[in-house]
Formats: sequence, C-alpha cells, structure tokens
Amino acid sequence: MNVLEIRNLSKKFGDFIAVDNMNLSVREGEIFGFLGANGAGKSTTINMISSLLRITKGEIRLLGKDIVKESKFTKMNIGIVPQDLAIYEEMTAYENVSFFAGLYGLRGALLKERTEEALEFVGLGDKHKALPKSFSGGMKRRLNIACAIAHHPKLIIMDEPTVGIDPQSRNYILNSVRKLNQMGCSVIYTSHYMEEVEEICTRIAIVDHGKIIAEGTKEQLKSIITDTKETWISVKNADRLDLDALKQISGVNSVRLEEQTVKIVSRGEINNLNWVIQVLIRDQVEISSVEEQAPNLETVFLTLTGRNLRD
Amino acid sequence: MNVLNIALFEIKKDLRDKRTLIFMLAFPIVLILILGTALTNAFHNGVELGDMKLLVKNTAQSQQLQSYWNGFAQAIGKEGVELTPAANGIDGKKAVQDNQYTAYAEIDDNGIHFYGSSRETISSNIIQGMLTSFADKYSLAAAAVKNDPEAAHAIIAGEMAPGSFIQESSLDPDRKPGSIDYYAIVESTMIAFYACMSASWLIRGEVKRKTALRLAAAPVGKLEIFAGKVIASTIINFLCILVVVLFSKFVFNANWGDHLGPVFLLLFTEVLLAVSFGLGIAFLFKDDAAVNGVMMIFVQLASMFGGAYFPVDEASGFFAGIANLSPLRWANEALMNLIYNDDLQAVFPVMGLNTAIAAAFLAFVAITMRKREAF
Repeated sequence: MNVLEIRNLSKKFGDFIAVDNMNLSVREGEIFGFLGANGAGKSTTINMISSLLRITKGEIRLLGKDIVKESKFTKMNIGIVPQDLAIYEEMTAYENVSFFAGLYGLRGALLKERTEEALEFVGLGDKHKALPKSFSGGMKRRLNIACAIAHHPKLIIMDEPTVGIDPQSRNYILNSVRKLNQMGCSVIYTSHYMEEVEEICTRIAIVDHGKIIAEGTKEQLKSIITDTKETWISVKNADRLDLDALKQISGVNSVRLEEQTVKIVSRGEINNLNWVIQVLIRDQVEISSVEEQAPNLETVFLTLTGRNLRD
Repeated sequence: MNVLNIALFEIKKDLRDKRTLIFMLAFPIVLILILGTALTNAFHNGVELGDMKLLVKNTAQSQQLQSYWNGFAQAIGKEGVELTPAANGIDGKKAVQDNQYTAYAEIDDNGIHFYGSSRETISSNIIQGMLTSFADKYSLAAAAVKNDPEAAHAIIAGEMAPGSFIQESSLDPDRKPGSIDYYAIVESTMIAFYACMSASWLIRGEVKRKTALRLAAAPVGKLEIFAGKVIASTIINFLCILVVVLFSKFVFNANWGDHLGPVFLLLFTEVLLAVSFGLGIAFLFKDDAAVNGVMMIFVQLASMFGGAYFPVDEASGFFAGIANLSPLRWANEALMNLIYNDDLQAVFPVMGLNTAIAAAFLAFVAITMRKREAF
C-alpha cells in the first residue's frame, strides 16, 4: 500500500516552474530517499506535502486521502523534521515537545506520556528540563526530531536532519530513523550526504528541475549507469594538475578535484587510463594511488543531473 | 482549546524573556521617577514671593484714622509686610523705582495714595489689595460711627485679625496633577503603546525561528494561531501596565483617581490597539528593517505629541493638530478628565476608537494571513 501518492504535481511561482508534473509514490514501511541539488524542487515538494505551500496543479494523497480536502486528517498523520531547527530556545525540551504535540490534540496524561516517550527516543530524557540554548548542535537536532514524532505520525518527512553535526550525533539520528521505520513509520529522507542515503534508504528518487528523473532501489539506480566508470587518482601536488587537459582525453565525461583526489568519470567501454597517466606525468604530478570505483549513488547523481549533490 | 494552549505557551515564553519584561516594567517606572522629580517645578502652582516692603508717609490728622491705621499696620506686619515710615525728604516713588520697596503709600485725611512696583507686581498687588480692603472698611466704619460707634468698632476690630485682609479664591487647586501624577499617567499609556513593538514579532518571530513551518504543518488553523498570539500578547502587556500603574500608585503615591476600573479598561483597549497596530505594520511591510523603522518612528512621535515627555496641553497651531492624531494624546486626555474631573464619559469614546482601530488592523491581518501561503 502507498502511504503517499503524488500525481501530476506542479507548483509555479509566477512564471517559474518549481515542480513540473511530478509523479511519485512512497510505500508503507519504506525509508524513501529524496535527492536533488539546491533549487531542484525538493523543498517545494516537501512544503506542499506538509501543506505549507498550496498546490498549483495535481494532487497529493496521504493514506489514500487528498491532503487539501482532508487537511486535518493528513496533517495528523505527518511529522515534519525541518532542515532548520524549529524549536523555541527559551522553552525547555519538554515544553517544546509538549507544545507541538498539543497542537495535534494530545492532552493530559497521554500528552505527558508521549512527550516523555519522544524525548527518551531521541536520548534527551534526562535533559527534559534543560533549555535548548544549552544544547550542542546534535542535541538540538535530536530535539527537532522529538518535536515531530510525539503524535505518532504515519509518515515522517526529514529534511536534512543531520546537517552540521558531529559523527556521533549523526549515527544516533540515523539509528533513530531506522528505529522509527521498524516501529511502522514511513520516512521521506533528504540529505546532501549521499552515503547516508545509501546507508538507510530502501528506495530513492532523484529530482532535477522539478521533475523526477530517476526512481528505484540503490541497485536499480546504479544499473542505470553501467556504461560509465569512475577513476579516483590521489596526487601529492594537485596544484600542477591541468583539469582541462584531462577533460580533453577521449571517453572522459567529467573531471572534478576533491582535495588531493582527481575523480574522472569515463565511458565504460573506453580504456583511457594510460592517457590520463601520461598527462599527469607530463605535468609532473606525483601520483599516490589509482582506484577504479564501482558506480555509487554520487556517480549516478552526477551522471544524471550533471551536478554534484552539494551544488 | 488550541487558542488557549497557544496563548498560554506564548505567555510563558514572554515571561521567560527577561530583557523585554524588565524594559516594559523598569522603563516607565524610571521615567516617572526621573521626569516626575526633575520637572516638579513645571507642575507646581504656588509662587514664591520675596519680602514685601511698604514705605508709608502718614500725614493724617484724624485721631480715629491714626488709631485704625496703627491696628492695621500691626496686622499686616504679622502677614509678612514690612512697614517703613518715610523719612522727611525721601522720594517714595523713586525708592520704589529703585527697587528698595515693594510699594509706597501716602496716607492723609482724604485717603490713601498708592504707588506699586512694576517689578514685583504680585507682591505690590497683594499690598494694594490689603490697603483697598482697609480703606473700604475704614470708610464703612467712618459712616457707621455717626449712628452706632459700637458697630464701627466691631467692623474695624474684625479687620484687625491677621489674614483678614487677604481674600482667597481658588478653582480647586488640589484637582490638578502634580509632576509624578502626570508622568505616571503618560508613561503608562506610552508603555502600553510600546506593546506594538513586541506584537510586530508575533508572527515574524515564528517565521524567523522557523517554527512557522511546524505550526503550518500542524492541524491548527492559522486564525487559531493568530487569535492565541493576540490574546497572549494583549494579556502579558496589560499585566505589565497593571504593575506599572499599581507601582506608581502605591510607591510614588501617584493620583489615579477614584475610578480604577475605567482607567484599566481604557489602558486595556490601548494595549489592544498597540498589539493590532504592531501586527498590522508587520504584515504591511515585508522588510524587517522597514517594520522596525516605521514602528520606532511612530511610537516616538506618538509619545512626544501625546505628552509622554512634556505636557502638550497648551500646544497650538500645527503642533496641536499633530498632537491630536496621537493615540496617546487621546488616552492621556481621557484619563486626566476621568481622574481630575470625574468625567466618566471622557473615556468611552477613546475606548471605542481604540477598539475600532484595533478591529480594523486585526481584520486586515486575518485576511492577509488567510490569503498568504504559509505565514
């Protein structure tokens, strides 16, 4: 059964089309990765699902019900974890969670129970009386999640929930997402960290220019680009690199430099490594290592959109 | 229920904002104290008079007049008038012109000739009043003595008591505000209007804090959020005003009159007006700097023209016209009339006007909010 169905969804801001005739479905019990570079239409879609923006055309159905016509029902069943921290710094962790849960109709003992449960879930049970301003970035992110789950939503939308936090907190949050999923929640997960998406998402959609350009499991997406390969060459003196010369080599689709590593995507059927090495030797670039990479999501994304996820 | 929850949460949140609370409470109290103390003289109705010196040249031959005059001289001496007999050859008028004496009087059997100082007009007028009173009573006694000497004696004896030459008349001087009374009223209405500053952040703050997204995603209507916030802001700001009024009443002994109920009702409508005005401006302008700028300029002008820093009762012309546009002026005038003239009718039109303008702003905000996507 589909928890969420998006049909022919469009959103216009004046003449600008932010979302263009999008079709998408999220199945019950899956963690659905929603990938797109900045401005691709990802946040606009999320904002329409969460009723923050009005739909220009098309429809969104949650648990089979139209989110516009059955607004209250659908809102009751969605939890939003916004990219930006959406908490009141001057109120305690408990008051924050309790206030937002109260907006979903929880009252009295049930409200107290669910508030405590949500705080325990994100590991802030012992900090319930503390003010968020005394929290670390990771703790604030966890509180941001607690505020979205106390009312037991069927679908949780997490927009970049791990931005700007330490690895320990990131792991905690990723484990929380898995636990929520095991408890029966479906999750829409967006992130700029491709490895996170690869790690936890069961299905992934790539959005570009307001359209879904690819959708499927990790394996299905990777199979799209079997005709390309990626070579990573670590060097010691990257300042001597002539990237334009590398791009001119036959079969090379793209070249990018990340710190001291040149990442070259080439057509699969062409063996051009000799030529690449020759250019590097000519430019007196010292090579540390050469690795042929199996296709990953990042390669898929780059190949399909021509952009890095962080662009 | 949601409205109540939102309002309670907002009140709790405001109570945690110590900086704003301290400002709302301490600012008016300090202003009342400083302006009320510094400008005491501007509100003082009394006039300090210097020594009253009367130079007298008495050439009357009448025994009766001499006798009555001596009694009169003793009586006015006790009232603080220093009598000096004019020495032979002295030019009394010149002595007064040279500011050696407040007045000069020549007494002979035909009457009293008076010459007062143009520099000390109040003092010379007082002496003139005393002499006129003496002359009138002496004329009456002189007429009475022909028929009833006892009555004449009683008339003059009555006049000899100290103070009987000074007639007091007053338009109830106690029913005018002193400086503390005045500033207690105008600073309270001013700080009531300051509520517009915090109110302008009621919705903008949610957007800035990003909590607007959560609120929009929750199954709560925009109007419920709006109503909860307006109620909370009005209550918390009104509570601050209540504290300021009671503090000024019991600590500074400011006069708030005998009708505290209508006073508080008027201040409540003033807060409501300020809150709705703040919200309205926040929805009229998109830019934060513009909202803050408009708000600050309006509040300061309204305060100044409303009499928050100095009285504007005697303003005229253009200044008076501008002053009449200030909501603080309406409130201050109504409160003065209520407190000092027991004019209950004065507050109702202002309360009505405040409420009507508030309703217009709130309607504008509610309609704009409904039309907008998100907040």
